[in-house]
Amino acid sequence: MTSTEPAILAENLAKSYRSTRAVVDVSLRVEVGEAVGVVGANGAGKTTTVEMIAGLRVPDRGWVRVLGLDPRRDRARLRQVLGVQLQQAYLHHALRVTELVDLYRSFYPDPRPTDELLDMVELTEQRRTSFDKLSGGQQQRLSIALAIAGRPRMVILDELTTGLDPKARRRMWHTVEHLRSEGVSVLLVSHTMEEVERLCDRVAVLDAGRVIALDTPAGLVARAGTATLDDAFVALTGRQLEEEPA
Amino acid sequence: MNTLVEARRPGLRSLVTLIGCEAKMVVRDTAGLVVPLCLPLLIMLTSASAASGTVVANGRTALDLYVLPLVFTMVISIIGIINMPSFLAYYRRSGILRRLGVTPASPAMVLAAQAVVSVLQSLVGITAALIVAFLAFGASPPADLGVAIGVVGLAMAAMYSTGMIVAAVAPTPNSAVAIGLVAFFVLGALGGMFGGRDALPEPLAELGGWLPFGAAVEALSSAWAGATVSAAHLVGLGATIVVGAVVAGLLFRWE
Repeated sequence: MTSTEPAILAENLAKSYRSTRAVVDVSLRVEVGEAVGVVGANGAGKTTTVEMIAGLRVPDRGWVRVLGLDPRRDRARLRQVLGVQLQQAYLHHALRVTELVDLYRSFYPDPRPTDELLDMVELTEQRRTSFDKLSGGQQQRLSIALAIAGRPRMVILDELTTGLDPKARRRMWHTVEHLRSEGVSVLLVSHTMEEVERLCDRVAVLDAGRVIALDTPAGLVARAGTATLDDAFVALTGRQLEEEPA
Repeated sequence: MNTLVEARRPGLRSLVTLIGCEAKMVVRDTAGLVVPLCLPLLIMLTSASAASGTVVANGRTALDLYVLPLVFTMVISIIGIINMPSFLAYYRRSGILRRLGVTPASPAMVLAAQAVVSVLQSLVGITAALIVAFLAFGASPPADLGVAIGVVGLAMAAMYSTGMIVAAVAPTPNSAVAIGLVAFFVLGALGGMFGGRDALPEPLAELGGWLPFGAAVEALSSAWAGATVSAAHLVGLGATIVVGAVVAGLLFRWE
């Protein structure tokens, strides 16, 4: 393997759940330091794609490498350099913010300091609050802090800002921009075109389990012949992009 | 690029942190502590007065030889077969194991932390029962302390191993509690929890002596009396540990 290895290389991924074909054929390449957005209507296959890339699901067909590593076979090595924020924040409900941060920090050889993490996601004031007492947005922000606790080279962010108010969304965007300034590669699943337009170099449009377009935001707009990325999405997929409930 | 990444699992510091977090979860779940710590104590309090006056063997009373082994085994069983699996099933159901699954933490680490916390809980329950038995009812220490400690350790391993099977097969936290309760009462009934095994039909009494609850009670009773612990009881406990570990290893899943 060489230093030109892409951050993510996925080829012809497919995954079915019984009779439902969640992902039909997804190929994706994310370069090191790049941020790529994944957008699609509900049921387009975004989360299943992300879960295969993160090693949480085994593809029925195709293969994936993350930073040159096989997510299943090289699990131990990959988990040290990959940060994952899942769609919902699943954490020990009775633990306090700092307890959770310290727990997740302990998994990594060179974690970010607790104070730095709390500052990045603006949870310093809630440091002694238990997880189940946090608001939805605060839980989401804590989930991000845990995903980046180990100084990952690549982060996968699934529905980063779903359910957050505009102010909290901008805070999250600032955090992602901070990560990008450190050279971290980003795969961002989103329902918000404004978000992917601001944060991502390229955007993959998923529809019915396939990548139907992959280009820069400006490239997608030009290709669809529309004025905005929102309109480009509708023109490409024939669907409206609806935000999933938080 | 990937050649620069060493395969390093989280070390002892991480395990200690996880154990601390699991312990805090248990302590903050006050209701979950009441049954395993208070129910056996209550049973001891109701039986101790009568049992402490009857010397059975080697200067030991019925309290020493029958009640305390039963109480200890109940504490260990409730925590190992009911409480621990319900925690693990809750973690799986709520996605906590899934979330940990995308970190360098391994499933074995979570299971080890749960086992350690369960051992600590059991020790608290056993210590509380011992203090009450010694101070209030004049109980005697085991004639063979080393063997008694060894049997307690073996019983813990056997009960947690049984609990791991429950955690592995239970799809939900409620089903973990239900399966755990059924397992606890079946093992307890066959092991003499509702009266001596002598009252059971012979095949069931024989079976109960091999199963972990009955084996633990009998082995502890022997240790208290200073008698030789039957090989059958040790084999029963050892076999439970092996079977539980193998079955849980095959069936346990993150989600």
